Amino acid sequence: MRKGILFVLPMLALVALGLASWGGGERVLRITFAWPTYIDPAVGSDYSSSSAFVNLYDTLVYPDVNGNPQPHVATHWEVSQDGTVWTFYLRDDVYFHDGTPLTAADVKFSMDRITTIGEGYGFLFVDRVQKTEVVDDYTVRFYLKEPFGPFLTTLYRLYIVNKDLVEANIKRPGPYGEWGDYGKEFLLTHDAGSGPYMVKEFRVEEELVMVKNPNYWLPIPEEAPDVVRFIGTTEPATIRTMMARRELEISDQWQPQEAWRALDAIEGVDISSFFSGTAFYLMLHTRKPPTDDVHFRRAMAWAFDYETVVRDIFPGCIQSRGPVPQNLPGADPTVFQFRRDLDKAREELKKSKYYDQLDQIVVEYHWIAEVPDEEKVALLFMANMAEIGINVKVVKVPWLSVVEEMADMEASPNIVSVFVAPHYPEAGSILESRYHSASAPTWEQNEWLLDPEVDRMIEDALATVDREERFRKYAEIQHYIVDLCPTIFLFDNVEKHAYQAAYIDWPAAQGEVNPIMGYNMAARFIKVYPERREALLKGG
Amino acid sequence: MGILKFLIKRLVFSVFVLFGLSILIFLISRVLPGDPVRMALGPRAPEWAVQNLREQMHLDKPLPVQYYYWLTGALRGDLGQSLFTRRAVIDDIKEFLPATMELALFAGVIMAVFGILFGAIAGRYSNTWVDNVVRVFSYIGVVTPSFVFAILFLLLFGYLLGWFPTAGRLSPWVPRPPVITGMVTLDALITGNWAALGDALWHMVLPAVSLALGGMAQEARITRSTISDNLKKDYISSAKGFGVPERLVMLKYLLKPSLIPTVSILGLDFAALLGNAFLVELIFNWPGFSRYGINAMLRKDLNAIAAVVMVLGVVFVTVNIIVDLVVAWLDPRIRLGAERGK
Repeated sequence: MRKGILFVLPMLALVALGLASWGGGERVLRITFAWPTYIDPAVGSDYSSSSAFVNLYDTLVYPDVNGNPQPHVATHWEVSQDGTVWTFYLRDDVYFHDGTPLTAADVKFSMDRITTIGEGYGFLFVDRVQKTEVVDDYTVRFYLKEPFGPFLTTLYRLYIVNKDLVEANIKRPGPYGEWGDYGKEFLLTHDAGSGPYMVKEFRVEEELVMVKNPNYWLPIPEEAPDVVRFIGTTEPATIRTMMARRELEISDQWQPQEAWRALDAIEGVDISSFFSGTAFYLMLHTRKPPTDDVHFRRAMAWAFDYETVVRDIFPGCIQSRGPVPQNLPGADPTVFQFRRDLDKAREELKKSKYYDQLDQIVVEYHWIAEVPDEEKVALLFMANMAEIGINVKVVKVPWLSVVEEMADMEASPNIVSVFVAPHYPEAGSILESRYHSASAPTWEQNEWLLDPEVDRMIEDALATVDREERFRKYAEIQHYIVDLCPTIFLFDNVEKHAYQAAYIDWPAAQGEVNPIMGYNMAARFIKVYPERREALLKGG
Repeated sequence: MGILKFLIKRLVFSVFVLFGLSILIFLISRVLPGDPVRMALGPRAPEWAVQNLREQMHLDKPLPVQYYYWLTGALRGDLGQSLFTRRAVIDDIKEFLPATMELALFAGVIMAVFGILFGAIAGRYSNTWVDNVVRVFSYIGVVTPSFVFAILFLLLFGYLLGWFPTAGRLSPWVPRPPVITGMVTLDALITGNWAALGDALWHMVLPAVSLALGGMAQEARITRSTISDNLKKDYISSAKGFGVPERLVMLKYLLKPSLIPTVSILGLDFAALLGNAFLVELIFNWPGFSRYGINAMLRKDLNAIAAVVMVLGVVFVTVNIIVDLVVAWLDPRIRLGAERGK
């Protein structure tokens, strides 16, 4: 017994010693995310991976708070008359974390690598970039297969990797022929970037630890975190406890409504809400009775109670205005918006060819089992439709099954409720992924619109290099689609995060919201004040 | 010799069990809805990239051929690549299994020691207030899932009182010991890293206790019931009548035979800890094997699912054999039966 005590006491003393050594002025930023995180820019494309890339890598252009491209590694650029050749002039003072200079060869290597692997954000470039050419050490040229107006904005996702370092760590043989594994195994746990932070340790499925790059080519404020930790958990009880103990600075966005209230009640913790560019849609199958009838679809759009959804079920969100979220560049604020009006709903329903058979018709509505709040929307929809005599059958379906049934026109239900985010920050992205015929057999489109006119308009807009002209074309498409009413445009989603307002300054929480996924987690813009944290812990 | 024969028989039988399990899990994982490769690469990945990965994983082949590839790989120690961690499944197992084994071992010790202790006390003093208290707590322990304990302990001892850490295996400021066994406490002990050892034990308390309580209550109930029954048997009365000291009666003549059912259940409970630790690992952000396994299933990570189930199968089979040996040691009738070849 005495021996046991003799063993345990020194342990406790050491732990206490460890605790005492914490908070010695080091600026630490801890953020929780839904996992997994990939730090290989040719593999990851989700929220946490994108947030990691922004900190570890540089890009040719960088988005401002309106999503507009600004010079970054590229000082300036030119585009050919026909919009297919893009030439970028690079800075000569950018260095990778190992000290080698970043050159045009690295940019070419990064583009070749991501288009060869085809994963992550590769889909943005695979069908568009024909070849990349190194003009000289600091000039690089991309040849596109056809004109693509939003090409600049897609370059926010071309993270430049260190060619020499990756080449030195290629494993052969591998799935990419002479390129072996193209350095995938190495980049699974190491970075090859030039960004403001460097990987110190990465435990897959657990935690990513990054430290400040002392030689970054742009100034980093002294108050920016020295260490950034991405932690893989979204468990509400854990998040709440970590926040209260000041062991977490920014929470993930996946907390349930009750958890936000509990987090908001913690002293010094605030909830930030900003539009994420994601929207929630009720996708109506336009090739399946009875939702193949435009009057039937409009009747449902008039009958639905949007206000209850944005007030009670998803508070903080706003009703969508057409297919494009309002914070996305190219969204048209003048697009027609449905409001609940039962008289108009009945009027439309009378025009429908199914009006006389309402008692024999059942509209099947599938909601995603993994997002419980969607059930509330589904039940509200069912109640609203019953008021105008439409029978709705609500079905809870696991995500994997939804994806499978949406790949088949026959198997797709009348309605599926899904959140969709743009691939790149422009209206064209959401219009293409939601309504172009090519996306019909994917989970991003249950409408099966298959409208050649819509396809033509989208392709024409995307091929327009002039931004103003392109945006005008986007607006036309939005009006055209709303008139077809293939979707009930429910709400533009807000992204919520709990954060330690008492001791961190986070631009996104103060209104400087970057519409590109991951860019609000650029740690170099976030300021951490450890002394305020200490004071808070001491109850000061 | 009898025991050896018995052991060989069990081992041979186990091979057939594991072989059957491998076919079953292989088929079940492949009939789940959804295309695992499309899920891993995302809806926007070009079709050729998806097809390439399918070919690399042999998913374009008929099921028997896929099973052949998987089985021959597994026999060489190659369990394939995980679709989500993007590395060899065997590497994932090496990383995550020790974390859960460590947790389960600590939970197992708590479960066994305190379960038997409380059960023995309750059995010895059956139908007294001590017995009633143990029984009430046992019922609560049995009916309450471990994740409820985990949340309660997290909020009480982590959030309100702040006595224990709430996430992970080590504090960020404590230097991590080099990986030898993968169990942080053991590695810290081997390398003499006392700060890490203390910190790791400190991190272990809440998850291990949360995980142990259900099993502990179960062992207490079973031990209490057996001791209470055996106390009424003639040989105990005889021993007492012959003046054998109470302590000796308790430990030698009562406790040892009374432990047979407890040990049988204890073995199963311990093996079950590995699979049941999922929610506890999630709540305490413990990077363990259970969490890995459940994530593999949710993500339809085929190779990882098969590997996790097979590892759990091996653990169950091994623990069962050990339990049989311990029971044979505790119960001479079984031991002698085996030696006689029965």
